[in-house]
Amino acid sequence: MTTEDHASGRSVGAPDRERAVTEMFVTLADTLVDDYDVVDLLDRLVHACVLILDVTAAGLLLDDQRGHLSLVASSSEETRLLEVFQLQNNEGPCLDCVRDRTIVTSADLEADAGRWPAFVPQALAAGYRSVTAVPMRLRDDIIGGLNMFGSVSRPLADEDRRLAQALADAATIGILQQRAAHRTSVLAEQLQHALNSRVAIEQAKGVLAERHNLSMELAFQMLRKYARDRNFKLFDVATSVVAGRVDPGADG
Amino acid sequence: MGDRDPDGWEQLLRDTARGGAEQPRRIADLCVRMLEVSGAGISLVSDTGVRGVICATDEVAMRIEELQLTLGEGPCVDAVRHGGPVLVPDLEDPHEVATDRWPAFMGAAAEAGVRAVFAFPLRIGVISLGAMDLYRDQPGRLSDEQLSGALLAAEGAGIALLATQATSEVEPGGGQPSSGGYDAQVHQATGMVMVQAGVTIEQAFLLLRARAFSSGRALPEVAADVVARRVRFDAEDK
Repeated sequence: MTTEDHASGRSVGAPDRERAVTEMFVTLADTLVDDYDVVDLLDRLVHACVLILDVTAAGLLLDDQRGHLSLVASSSEETRLLEVFQLQNNEGPCLDCVRDRTIVTSADLEADAGRWPAFVPQALAAGYRSVTAVPMRLRDDIIGGLNMFGSVSRPLADEDRRLAQALADAATIGILQQRAAHRTSVLAEQLQHALNSRVAIEQAKGVLAERHNLSMELAFQMLRKYARDRNFKLFDVATSVVAGRVDPGADG
Repeated sequence: MGDRDPDGWEQLLRDTARGGAEQPRRIADLCVRMLEVSGAGISLVSDTGVRGVICATDEVAMRIEELQLTLGEGPCVDAVRHGGPVLVPDLEDPHEVATDRWPAFMGAAAEAGVRAVFAFPLRIGVISLGAMDLYRDQPGRLSDEQLSGALLAAEGAGIALLATQATSEVEPGGGQPSSGGYDAQVHQATGMVMVQAGVTIEQAFLLLRARAFSSGRALPEVAADVVARRVRFDAEDK
């Protein structure tokens, strides 16, 4: 499906990349006019990052407004990756980027072991060698960070950094829903809604994983495909799965 | 995030976490003490409306709960439906008046002396338990720190309601809130336990907490074992 481009490390070539970027921004534009699924949008966004930027994994962490960063979307459901994202409630580039309101990078994690003594060994053990964290900005607030890992020690090109910031900004707009953004309370309402949706999705993943003996990754793919094929919201499908009203794993 | 004091709140909630039927009331009182609000109320709410008032710290707070119960509309009804808080710092704000979200509730609430109302769903993913309303007799938004406290209080109140609703002898393991972090595996394990033990999602969450409590282990540890399929719950665990 995609071929590794060894010169850039990206998973797609230049024309495909351009198409992927265009598609991503078209998707984003759609969200501003329709009643859309914010969690699905964020999911598409982290997958787009892996496709168009020189990174192997991406995740979006939001400030849960209770003093922690909370993962709402990840390019893979692999447990070790989730743990590396999650770990950053204590230390790490994503926490630094949210706290210092700036892009934080390490082109060589091994050399930066002293910077994040707990985070770096875990990231290395999970197979990552470089990291970039981009803040999600809303005027004076930082609502979270876009966190990306590379499997080789290499700085992210300036062009990719700018694109990553644009994607992070777009995600922020997606969360806020432009049409209602003049209301100051909307940020809290939307953030909490997104965070709770993610919890519901995890519960439904557990139900499907157990019922059909699947990995969490496959359970999520099953849930997502069911929702996208029918244009349902992930949160609604998750609710129906837990309530036993639908089973995306059933034949037919 | 940096200028908030969630740890102080978590400690306070833990101190009030003696469990039992009085726990929601203690949390409501805590909100009044800590969040510069005039009163607080907690109700059981389903998608179709308010089903019953659990507690209220004063008559106005009780009125807010009862109004929504009677009228079937209001911020806490919407909070439950939407799955996120509904924050109205000034009921008389021209924009709010123009939006006219709750035609009957707005007038009645104003008459009762309510100027600001903040509704929080008591929810854990798909588990919907009720809602908590905070009100002020003066307009004014919740500061970041107060919002943070209210969200933690709502988390604690949700778990307290879940525990009081449990019909079985399941010991919920105290009403303390989680670490506040995103613990994917706890929620994944809840879904798995639901299928394994053949119980509702609510009961599955309580079973998981009870197992952690009785084995003296942290909830995320037990959850990780369930997800890794090292630990199973059976129908007998009900």
